[in-house]
Amino acid sequence: MASETGGGTIDAARRRRTAVWVAREILPHEHRVRAWLRRSGTTADDADELIQEAYCRLAMLEDVDHIDSPYAYFFSIVRNLLVRRLKRQRIVPLETIAEIDAYHDDRPSPEQLAAGRLAYGKALDLIALLPERCRRIVQLRKIEGWSQRQIAEHLGTTEKAVEKQVWLGVRFLRQAWSRAEQDADDLMSGIEQRGGRG
Amino acid sequence: MTGQSASEIADEAAAWVARLDAGDWSSEDEARLDQWLAADPRRRGALLHAQACWVALDRPAAPGRAAVPRRGLIMAAGGALAASVAGGFLWLARGTTYRTELGEIRRVPLADGSTATINSDTRLEVILASRRREVRIASGEAWFRVAKDPARPFVVEAGQVVVQAVGTAFSVRRRDGGADIVVTEGVVQVWAAQADGYRTSLVAGQSAFFGDNAAVRISDASPSAVDRALAWRSGAIDLSGQTVAHAVDDFNRYNRRKLVLADPRLAGEQIDGIFRTDDPEGFAKALHDSFGVALDTSDADAIRIGHAKNISDVEGSSSPTSLHQHGKATRP
Repeated sequence: MASETGGGTIDAARRRRTAVWVAREILPHEHRVRAWLRRSGTTADDADELIQEAYCRLAMLEDVDHIDSPYAYFFSIVRNLLVRRLKRQRIVPLETIAEIDAYHDDRPSPEQLAAGRLAYGKALDLIALLPERCRRIVQLRKIEGWSQRQIAEHLGTTEKAVEKQVWLGVRFLRQAWSRAEQDADDLMSGIEQRGGRG
Repeated sequence: MTGQSASEIADEAAAWVARLDAGDWSSEDEARLDQWLAADPRRRGALLHAQACWVALDRPAAPGRAAVPRRGLIMAAGGALAASVAGGFLWLARGTTYRTELGEIRRVPLADGSTATINSDTRLEVILASRRREVRIASGEAWFRVAKDPARPFVVEAGQVVVQAVGTAFSVRRRDGGADIVVTEGVVQVWAAQADGYRTSLVAGQSAFFGDNAAVRISDASPSAVDRALAWRSGAIDLSGQTVAHAVDDFNRYNRRKLVLADPRLAGEQIDGIFRTDDPEGFAKALHDSFGVALDTSDADAIRIGHAKNISDVEGSSSPTSLHQHGKATRP
């Protein structure tokens, strides 16, 4: 664990709290927001920017405890950012903006949200996809709980080299989450669809 | 703002997360990070995103050792919903009647786009008419996410208590002498059937008990408390400082095998943790671990908690000194 000092401590603690919340509530559903952006005609690069900006909004929050539907909250940030962007572009016909809300977002059901809260299981699956050396180091760090230094000693390499593999791991995981397919949700949805009609 | 692309920023953010993780973080590092963050507002979001990806690999902090592993919860939710498919529903002349068995939790899409998530041991009837959408709860509890349709108000009747929404989400639980209402989104209006003139509005985050005689008890719960109260939707019982007696009642709503509190001293103890609704055994085991109480599991229909008779059934039964030693149980 990083040892934080001085005024940075509070900031760092807040950053970490928000990150844990994002990992639990948002990350597992990020692909839904991306799918919605795709359907509304947003390019992949623009989607990256919008999502990054939306995370930025979350990072600004003092506190996330008051947000009772995190997915809906995140989705509405992205939606508003998209509308703002389209309005700025001017050449976009007004109907496009009106149409935005017609694109159905596959809002997660309470069951899927609960599944999202089990992001940990999904995260473990993603580790398995890492390139071998990187995977080994991430496993030692996160599952075995070794420090980067211990890992470096164990593997007979430098701490910098371990840090670099962690960097690659974080990069890879970020991409994997944004691509994440619906598998976690599919567990539930097949069953729901068989529910009765009123 | 820098001229960097989103993915360049994201890569730098990942490098910061690796650096933060290294363990020799210094105040100079913190200063450099602050500088980096200050140079472009987008970097804050990228850092949060990268950090979230990294902490997602940390085993979630269980709220006390009493919690079931989170993987267990997904199974529970899946199990409860799978079980629900088996439950039948009857067509009546006027509408559709849904009935759930003890322990069954079912999510039903309605033809108007709304959904009803129906809790254990519940019976309700849905009538979707052209001017009005109506649900009558004969017994039990359900949570509704109502599709917006201003021309057709969505009305739930639980005995004498009537709750009306246009587009919103809320739960209604019928009880003896009234109903509990929890609003998760938007606004609902509530009134007693006999006193239609007097309506009360409840907004998101509020919950209330409405008596058949129009007596009202409103409480402003925190968002997380609302989520906890509705944890049953995903097949979970989420306890945060509730008493053991309250938790026992909750489990007994879902299971044939009843929990029996044989040691009254336990009733007022507070407990934290997330459990599957269909796992009273797990909860009893957690009490055993937390409080060192004996369990009698010899009866297929009941689990007696705090009964010392069958102490040999309990593996490694603890001495009284082990009470609270793990700090997962809190005293009032």
